[in-house]
Amino acid sequence: MMQQADPGLREDLMRQPWALWWLQAKRLTQIELRRNLFSWRASWIYFLAFIPTLIISIHSIVDPHDPTSISDDTQMLASIVHLYYIRLGVFFGCLGIFSRLIRGEMIERSLHFYLLSPVRREVLLLSKFAAGSATALLLFVTATLANVALIYLPFGAAGRDYLFNGPGIEQLEAYVLIIVLACLGYGAVFLLLSMMFKNPTPGALLFLGWEAINPVLPSMLQKLSVASYLRHLMPVNIGVKGLIALLTVETEPVAGWVATLGLLLLITAVLLYSCYRIRTLEIRYTTE
Amino acid sequence: MSIYKHHYRAYTGRVTPIWTRIFALARYGLAEAWSTKITAVLFVICLIPPVGFLFTIYLSNNPSARLLMGTVGTRVLAIDGSFFLRVLTIQSWLAMALASCIAPRLITLDIVDNALPILLSHSISRFGYVLGKYAALFATLSTVTWVPCLLLFAYQGYASPVPWAASNLRIGVGMLAGALIWIALISLLGLALSSWVKWRGVATGVIFAVILVPAGVGAIVTGVLHTKWGLLLNVPVMMSYLWERLLDVHNRIDNALQLPTMAIVTMLALGCCLSMVMLNTRIRAREVVRG
Amino acid sequence: MNDLIVFENVSKFYGEVLGVNRVSLTIPPGITTLVGPNGSGKTTLMNLLTGLVQPSSGSISVMGLSSRDANKFFATVGYCTQFDFFPRDITGWQFLVDSLMLYGMSKLTAIQLAEESLQRVQLDKTAAWRKIDGYSKGMRQKIRLAQAIAHRPRVIVLDEPLNGLDPMARAEAMALFEALGCQGIHLIISSHVLDEVDRIADRVVLITGGYLIAEGNIHQVRQEVREKPMQVLVRCDRPEALASKMFAMNHCVEARLHPDGKGIFLRTGDVDQFYSILNVIATEGIVKIEAVAPADDDANAIYQYLIGSDGGAL
Repeated sequence: MMQQADPGLREDLMRQPWALWWLQAKRLTQIELRRNLFSWRASWIYFLAFIPTLIISIHSIVDPHDPTSISDDTQMLASIVHLYYIRLGVFFGCLGIFSRLIRGEMIERSLHFYLLSPVRREVLLLSKFAAGSATALLLFVTATLANVALIYLPFGAAGRDYLFNGPGIEQLEAYVLIIVLACLGYGAVFLLLSMMFKNPTPGALLFLGWEAINPVLPSMLQKLSVASYLRHLMPVNIGVKGLIALLTVETEPVAGWVATLGLLLLITAVLLYSCYRIRTLEIRYTTE
Repeated sequence: MSIYKHHYRAYTGRVTPIWTRIFALARYGLAEAWSTKITAVLFVICLIPPVGFLFTIYLSNNPSARLLMGTVGTRVLAIDGSFFLRVLTIQSWLAMALASCIAPRLITLDIVDNALPILLSHSISRFGYVLGKYAALFATLSTVTWVPCLLLFAYQGYASPVPWAASNLRIGVGMLAGALIWIALISLLGLALSSWVKWRGVATGVIFAVILVPAGVGAIVTGVLHTKWGLLLNVPVMMSYLWERLLDVHNRIDNALQLPTMAIVTMLALGCCLSMVMLNTRIRAREVVRG
Repeated sequence: MNDLIVFENVSKFYGEVLGVNRVSLTIPPGITTLVGPNGSGKTTLMNLLTGLVQPSSGSISVMGLSSRDANKFFATVGYCTQFDFFPRDITGWQFLVDSLMLYGMSKLTAIQLAEESLQRVQLDKTAAWRKIDGYSKGMRQKIRLAQAIAHRPRVIVLDEPLNGLDPMARAEAMALFEALGCQGIHLIISSHVLDEVDRIADRVVLITGGYLIAEGNIHQVRQEVREKPMQVLVRCDRPEALASKMFAMNHCVEARLHPDGKGIFLRTGDVDQFYSILNVIATEGIVKIEAVAPADDDANAIYQYLIGSDGGAL
């Protein structure tokens, strides 16, 4: 039975206009990128991404850089990535970027132009997701790279040595991976929330709370969190105390590749469900 | 002249004083704020902690009930400044959640539906409009902040076997002042942000983001630049410092991280002024053309 | 691929609110007007046709295509909605070219088609380079229309396309619709300006309260409305004499003198017999007849008779 079904499925897949979809996806992504990146309304996302960079650059100018303080700055950088970018910057940035993609257009009553274009709705959704991800990644990854450079390069030879010959490069890779996965993970979740609810913000804020208390939940529930996967990828342990420590505690050590794969699977599942939702999405602006 | 008889007569009857008209806006604002189930649910959630605190005060002042409850720590049952600071802190943050839900409902709908030109073409000034909305928000937030706080204070004064209220008046006044400052700040902030972010959903998120993100940025400033002044961006920390001082509670925070009261008040006043400037820019009788 | 638009027993409910109910309709090429009062279901019908909303029951096919096959369907269909909203911070030109590029065509072709559609709706190219946010209502209507026809669809659906247009622009739009209709495409228009649409429409679809109440050629539909006798204006030198002659016939139920005294409105229950008698009268020379014209054989009259005061204000 399976042998008969497979060629049929393959033929069916081959018959699809993949080249056209690819072209449409590219053009939609370009249009969305233009609207996401080059609009004054995106300025607050630039602020979220680059405000730590600004503070670090002040630090690199005004503070003395004694080679012994590299470890302090390494801790500081880890704290910024873990406590600011993942919990606040990327979170609120992605909330803004991704909930605008579908729900924002419904609020502005312009989504019908897309739904009336000759583009499959799944292609439309994935293109919008790609554009949102590209925007978030461009801003937050650039900011992370700039932060790393501004932290270590003022140390001169010691900093360069730490960065290129020491653990610095591995940490940089880990931070970039964390930021990429955070953008994709939060992006997928907020895109879905914005399609499910007229007002996705309460849902997103509950999700923020969920992410905060996630480390103390049973391991099964921990799998339904973006930040829990990212915690396992952190290259540096940050020594914080009090309530904040709750955000960094690692209750069950998990291998990096497992965490990455787990998060990618979560993102895929969320996107698949989003594709299903957009198939049945109706334009009813009067209820917005 | 084609019109021979003029039947039309302008209204010359009694009118209410101008200052009372803001209450019409406040009334409609309240109706709008309470038209959603989310407000009702949040309001109920806001009233749960006071019930718990009331029970604590009862236990604290009733030895026989305490005996029935078994071993309850004396620290938990100590009704002092720290206890009321806890009450105020919890109620204030719940009020913040309530404000983030209500404030956008009060303003964004008027702006999105281009109702401002209609409203402001009546004998209501822009200031009156904001005051009306503010009154609606103030009334709602009061019922979950200083009103339950003072009721608990009064109950403690009544239930305590020794004269308590007079000697701890500072706590009551401090709670009232602390709650009023907080309501003023979050109401203005909520209304101002809602007037700029026309999408109600985003406005709710932005109100939270404006409190939480600067707190994160302040923490980075404090950490990276080794200065306590970064905490001036941290509204939660600033408010807890202010509340502690108003209630005369000695905090457990490192002295090096203490902020002068004047600096905190100046920052909060700056936040309020900025909100008023935002409202002044946005609340105008003009049509918003949406592209 | 057939050339018909087919609604098969289509119903749409928004929760408990009825959008349209059990609509079965077959629309051949030509100009079709959707007529009905506010909230009657015209926009719902158009949204169903274009796949913006899905039917609760029944099925719709447009020239054999379904909106689920977006690539083919929207290459065939162009929809000018009545939503007066656009993506933010975008120029009219960008709006047109962006939407054309999604059809998979080259940039050069997209630019050519955008220029062509701007010409057709008579929107200045310099205006198209400005941001839509600053457009007047008429310009916004024109750019929407341009976007709907730019990819040369075979089915054009226009929801209140004359709204916001000044009399001059209205006349231009009507001429454009007439020209498009003559090319053998489907043009489905909903409009409140019945007099103007009436001139060019091949057929009318009357809808009220979500129910289809009549469809077909305007004159045929008028004749079907038997309970409302047809009104005919006869311009003649002796209207009173004509009236007395006509009242001798059973089917003539009402006569009303024209305000200028040189004509009479006659209402008849049997229009064929009426015309044959009028022939006889003219031949006898009792009355000198200058002109004869149906006075309520248009969409407006049909609307009044079939929907009337129940329909609410137009």
